[in-house]
Amino acid sequence: MNDSFAIVWWVPGLALLGFLFQAMLGKWLVDRLGAALGKRLLGTMAVLPIAAGFVISVILLQKVLALPETAKYAVQTLFTWIDVHPLLVPFEVLVDPLSVVMCLVVTGVGGLIHVYATGYMADDDDYPRFFTYFNLFIAFMLVLVLANNLVLMFVGWEGVGLCSYLLIGFWYRDVFNAKCGNKAFIVNRVGDWGFMLGIFLVFVVFGSVSLYASPENGGRSILQEAPDVLAQFFGDPSLGNPVFWIPILLFIGAMGKSAQGPLYLWLPDAMAGPTPVSALIHAATMVTAGVYMVSRCHVLFELSTEAMLLVAVVGAFTALFAATVAFGQFDIKKVLAYSTVSQLGYMFLACGVGAFATGMFHVVTHAFFKALLFLGSGAVIMAMAHEQDMRKFGNLRKYLPITYACMVCGWLAISGIPPLAGFWSKDEILAKVFGAGGMFGDNAAWALYAIGLGTAVLTASYMTRMMWMTFVQKDERWRKLPETHHHDDAHSHHELDPHHTPKEPYLCVWVPVAVLALLSVVGGIVLAGGGFILPAFPHYFEVFTHFSVATEIAHTAHLSVPLEWLLAGVSVLGAVVGIAWSIRSYRVQPQDQELGVEVEGWRAKAFAQWGYDGMITRTFVDQGGRFAVVLWRWFDAGLIDKVFVNGIPKLIETVGHAIRPLQTGYVRGYAAAMLFGVVVIIGWVFLSAVAR
Amino acid sequence: MVPLSGYLTISAFLFTLGVLGVIIKRNPIVVFMCIELMLNAVNLSLVAFARHHPNPTANANLAETVLTGHMFVIFVMAVAAAEVAVGLGIIMAIYRVRKKIDVDDMSVLRG
Repeated sequence: MNDSFAIVWWVPGLALLGFLFQAMLGKWLVDRLGAALGKRLLGTMAVLPIAAGFVISVILLQKVLALPETAKYAVQTLFTWIDVHPLLVPFEVLVDPLSVVMCLVVTGVGGLIHVYATGYMADDDDYPRFFTYFNLFIAFMLVLVLANNLVLMFVGWEGVGLCSYLLIGFWYRDVFNAKCGNKAFIVNRVGDWGFMLGIFLVFVVFGSVSLYASPENGGRSILQEAPDVLAQFFGDPSLGNPVFWIPILLFIGAMGKSAQGPLYLWLPDAMAGPTPVSALIHAATMVTAGVYMVSRCHVLFELSTEAMLLVAVVGAFTALFAATVAFGQFDIKKVLAYSTVSQLGYMFLACGVGAFATGMFHVVTHAFFKALLFLGSGAVIMAMAHEQDMRKFGNLRKYLPITYACMVCGWLAISGIPPLAGFWSKDEILAKVFGAGGMFGDNAAWALYAIGLGTAVLTASYMTRMMWMTFVQKDERWRKLPETHHHDDAHSHHELDPHHTPKEPYLCVWVPVAVLALLSVVGGIVLAGGGFILPAFPHYFEVFTHFSVATEIAHTAHLSVPLEWLLAGVSVLGAVVGIAWSIRSYRVQPQDQELGVEVEGWRAKAFAQWGYDGMITRTFVDQGGRFAVVLWRWFDAGLIDKVFVNGIPKLIETVGHAIRPLQTGYVRGYAAAMLFGVVVIIGWVFLSAVAR
Repeated sequence: MVPLSGYLTISAFLFTLGVLGVIIKRNPIVVFMCIELMLNAVNLSLVAFARHHPNPTANANLAETVLTGHMFVIFVMAVAAAEVAVGLGIIMAIYRVRKKIDVDDMSVLRG
């Protein structure tokens, strides 16, 4: 317990205050001050708490750096939240390298996205509502990353789920958007089910849900006790092997939030929200929650090789699958969405082989370049009158030189071209996977490495496809669009037509993009590059997060320096091959860019996610609907309504009708009945006396 | 001395007569008279029992040995008188409203 860390409460607190301000005063201020001034004030008030949160996070970073190497954490308790013996859940946060890194990313990248959003949403009538949700999103995400116990983490976990629902369906007047919000929420609930069961199991096994010990939580710490406590359960079948099931259940939660494997479905549909929302969900906040949670609970995962292998396999499979799907997309944001799914797969692949620090490092660099790509695509979308179909773009580098320059940084970064940020994290992941033979066996490690490398090639390739279709190809395809005649209304978005001239966006839109471009360029080399080139310089990120996540996985091989160079060379070669392949095919042959031409062959299949989405829709949505109808007809209407609700009164009514004539109202009738009764009783007494 | 069975036979006869009257008569006045008849049948058996079976556990106190049954009779008569007073009052009230006092007519009060 260290009171100098009490300042940490302001990080989520300020975002929460910002949320309250927007929610309570937002509309009033806009009405009062007029749209232009009111929106400017509200935008500033939305950015300020996040920016201040970033400053505080930097201060926290200093404080954490100053802590001794053996106990680099501080637990701050606000109050006791749940105290039902034996469950003790204080409302407390944890400041350690991992949470500070996440705070910096969430407030830093999130803050830049806020700045961007003030420009992007400037024309929207629901400006206050947007920033209400936006600030709340950040507040919940900070609760999630700072929580010192799984229950409080779950609060943030659900909170970001709620905000994603609200934001994806932000333009709710279009039913499609509302449905996408529903989809995100429902798919996430499937994952939350796993996370909740995981929390319950943790509590059953440990008797506590606190991550690090403090006097207020009874000095319990599941992470520190895990090896001892779980050791008792090896071979004890009564709880179904919690060593395996705890990480699996937690991972199901992570799969939902981080859009992995079978539960990735919601994320591409999350594109229905405004672009800053996509950037915030995809880069800085929600989807990284799963990776963060797995890294945070890494001790629980490391004890089970099977669980680790599952994480790695799901991650690798998702990375490859989503990368292929990205080739079939024409919506510029959907390409990026599948790219996010794929990159998250990478992060889980890293976690699966025990390289949690590397996975988190990829979270950070990915936050830089994916936010950049999303915001850049948002700038393109704004310039193209809210058209997202890449088949209608082309030659935009002529019109949007700044956006193009920034996007090139993001493109090269995600492709893994050194020395940009993406190279360092991605190459490190591949190297760690390569060295995982001791853990899973050489064949598995080779297979995972091959998938990882193949994904890297595909990533470079589809990103090049996107860049080429949007910026580089010479023909300006929107010129071929049919003429639209519309009234020039200043308030409504005008449509894309052949006479449209794309323009660079406002200052507050492209400045965050430029800052993110800078981060994408230098972020990797500053954080990690030193150690690779000169052993004298440390790998800052790994050194810093060492206390939280970098544990020695016993079987992971340490690669020799020449081998690392070789692997790095292979990665770069893969990226270059991917880029070259795409440039060749998209320069020479305009393939799928022809307007209005339906794609065929494997691209069509990729577009439909190889039939997966349809399969899920048929299996769960359609069949589920049918099942619900059966339940309604037979169980609800048939059994409950007919038998219980209406049947019982009907029975009573029938019996009542049957015996009603007995009540004649004639006194003599009643007297005769009494007489009859008396005779029967006396007779019975008499007969029993005789019988005795 | 007349044996106990003689008294009880007459009592049972009177009681049955009363029950029959209550069941078959429609005039509430007659019904009341029949109830009186049943009460008196009971009174008769009470007095007869008191006479033939004095309380063996009591000591020489006359009131305790013989008069227990008589006291019951006094109580029954008092309660019967009170009941008839109330009953007649009700019958008067009904008559004022409906101008007749047939008991079957009262069946409108049935459930």
